[in-house]
Amino acid sequence: MSLSVDFKLSLPDFDLKVAFDAPTGITALSGHSGAGKTTLINVLAGLVTPDYGHIETDGRVLFSSALKVNLKPEERHIGYIFQDARLFPHLTVLQNLKCGRWFRRLPMNPSTIEEIVTLLGIDHVLSRRPSQLSGGEKQRVAIGRALLSEPEVILADEPLSSLDSDRKKEILPYFEMLRDQMSIPIVYVSHDADEVTRLATTHFELAHGKIHSESSDS
Amino acid sequence: MTDWLSPPEIEAVLLSLKVAFWATIVSLPFGIVVGFVLARYEFPGKHLLNGLVHLPLILPPVVTGFILLKLFGTQGPIGSALEELGIVIAFSWSGAALAAAIMAFPLMVRAIRLSFEAVDVRLEETARSLGAHRFQVFCIISLPLALPGVVTGSILAFAKAIGEFGATITFVSNIPGETRTLPSAVYSFMQVPGGEESAYRLVILAVIVSMTALLLSEWLAKRVKTVVEGR
Amino acid sequence: MRFFAVFLYLVITSSVAQADRVTVFAAASLKNAMDEIGLAFEEKYAHTVVFNFAGSSQIARQVIAGAPADLLITANALWMDEADEMSSIASESRFDLVSNQLVLASSKAQTITLDYESLQQSLSGGRVAMALVDAVPAGMYGKQALEHLGLWDALEPSIIQADNVRAALRFLTLGETPLAIVYRSDVISEPKAYIAATFPEESHPAIRYPAALTERGVTSKVAVMFHTYLKSRDARAILSRHGFLAIDGVQG
Repeated sequence: MSLSVDFKLSLPDFDLKVAFDAPTGITALSGHSGAGKTTLINVLAGLVTPDYGHIETDGRVLFSSALKVNLKPEERHIGYIFQDARLFPHLTVLQNLKCGRWFRRLPMNPSTIEEIVTLLGIDHVLSRRPSQLSGGEKQRVAIGRALLSEPEVILADEPLSSLDSDRKKEILPYFEMLRDQMSIPIVYVSHDADEVTRLATTHFELAHGKIHSESSDS
Repeated sequence: MTDWLSPPEIEAVLLSLKVAFWATIVSLPFGIVVGFVLARYEFPGKHLLNGLVHLPLILPPVVTGFILLKLFGTQGPIGSALEELGIVIAFSWSGAALAAAIMAFPLMVRAIRLSFEAVDVRLEETARSLGAHRFQVFCIISLPLALPGVVTGSILAFAKAIGEFGATITFVSNIPGETRTLPSAVYSFMQVPGGEESAYRLVILAVIVSMTALLLSEWLAKRVKTVVEGR
Repeated sequence: MRFFAVFLYLVITSSVAQADRVTVFAAASLKNAMDEIGLAFEEKYAHTVVFNFAGSSQIARQVIAGAPADLLITANALWMDEADEMSSIASESRFDLVSNQLVLASSKAQTITLDYESLQQSLSGGRVAMALVDAVPAGMYGKQALEHLGLWDALEPSIIQADNVRAALRFLTLGETPLAIVYRSDVISEPKAYIAATFPEESHPAIRYPAALTERGVTSKVAVMFHTYLKSRDARAILSRHGFLAIDGVQG
């Protein structure tokens, strides 16, 4: 699977104009704050509409100004992992995990759920509420929730930046695992050079709304 | 209790409770929808909607009652249409409930709107990214998280409905057993010299009921908040 | 400093002007007639008359509580008695200003006999609007009249009670009820209402509108002047024109 992105969006300070392909694995996006990274992610997620362009995953068009296609966020099958986890406070961990499948009316598939729960090491907190979890646990649940929604693309917006270095060390391997075991593109925003070095399959840098350099790990 | 209050007075109290209950329950869905729309959406005419919702708060109650009479009375456009369908609102307790509901609506909407505004929009976005349609987002995420405010709004509306008088008596008049609510009975007593004694009894009862309702709402809202936030 | 002086001057002169003013608290049903009487008095004597119209219970209570009224005019003896008992009025100044007739009003010009069959026919399932039968003078008179005529029990299920007699009339003029029991003076002033029947005098206690100077008003020259003016021919003529009856039953 791969994600092909090409769009322009006028912003108050600059124009966000990017074109790139994100293959299977982690495509790291770095740049200073204000460069447009989060906006780019939100465009991919469908929360912001660009002025024109084309975004598709393996033949499935998410946005196309030429074809007048603009899928709503809930139709894009994109898993979004936020910096601040954003777990639903009124649901248990297990309910949080399941809700992607519930919304999309996918079969519950207990074995898949169990597999991911074990993988992320969160089996002991399933009946707890998000307010009773540690920062690291929350982020792991967030990853699990995104995974269980059967996404075709995963977007991660600085998922580790609110964690301390111990927690970061704890969670990084999970992203490595995602990169190595899942055959979907992961767009990973981070300003941390070490994270990028360790995780990135492909790497772009964003400055003032434009991609400035490319480098791939091979 | 029966020594302290005469049968007509007990009748007035029970009628008030019944009218206020139905007024609150029936207007709740509308209050939730309007509160949500005002909290989340921008659209032409939003200010007009907001103004209309708050109208019963600023108009003298008698004027509101008069408007209801013109619209829902047997000669009114809506009232006569309803009569065709066999629904009679004029001079019945359902008319009293309608008057109470309209007068209490602004309070309900304010509380509900505030609680929706307090719900993190980003959680709603998260739900959408997980595949939830707007209606699913509303039912599974927005509404449950706004529940404390909805509870508060309901109980505020209930308390206001119990005390409603001016619009009610102008619209559905004072019919013992049907539209003679507690405030109506108090008003009647006040018209006669020496009637204050009887009025005071009912006033004390009204205060007890209202205070109980308010305390209950505080407690209930806190409980719901605890459950929702999982603390 | 100059601004303050001007301000002080205005305050003083306005309170001096108040001395020439008479404040009258009167029953709501007297509004139209009393407004005219007030204007006539102002024209004749160049003093200002200020009115507060409300239900008898309200104005009586306010006067008892010390409101700045010079005269009190109520729609029944009950409230004037109360004010008298509380020493809020000058008893010697009390007199019955005017009377009224209790009538059955209808939204179309017709005559209805005050018996069960005729009433049922005119109602044809509709209702009769009255003022609160336990609390408002017009309502109380109405109930007593119906009881006297043996019609109360049969008519009670069809009766709706408004908080005052004007509101009862409103239900009639809006077409919500075919009939209403109100005062003759109310029907005279309302083009959309007609007198269908008059309740016989003996069917209810005499309708009286007592008027009196308050404890405060007794000391005011202008108030005493107005009090006297109420008994004048001019005032009687105005009241008569608005449908009220002179005390001796003869219309002026």
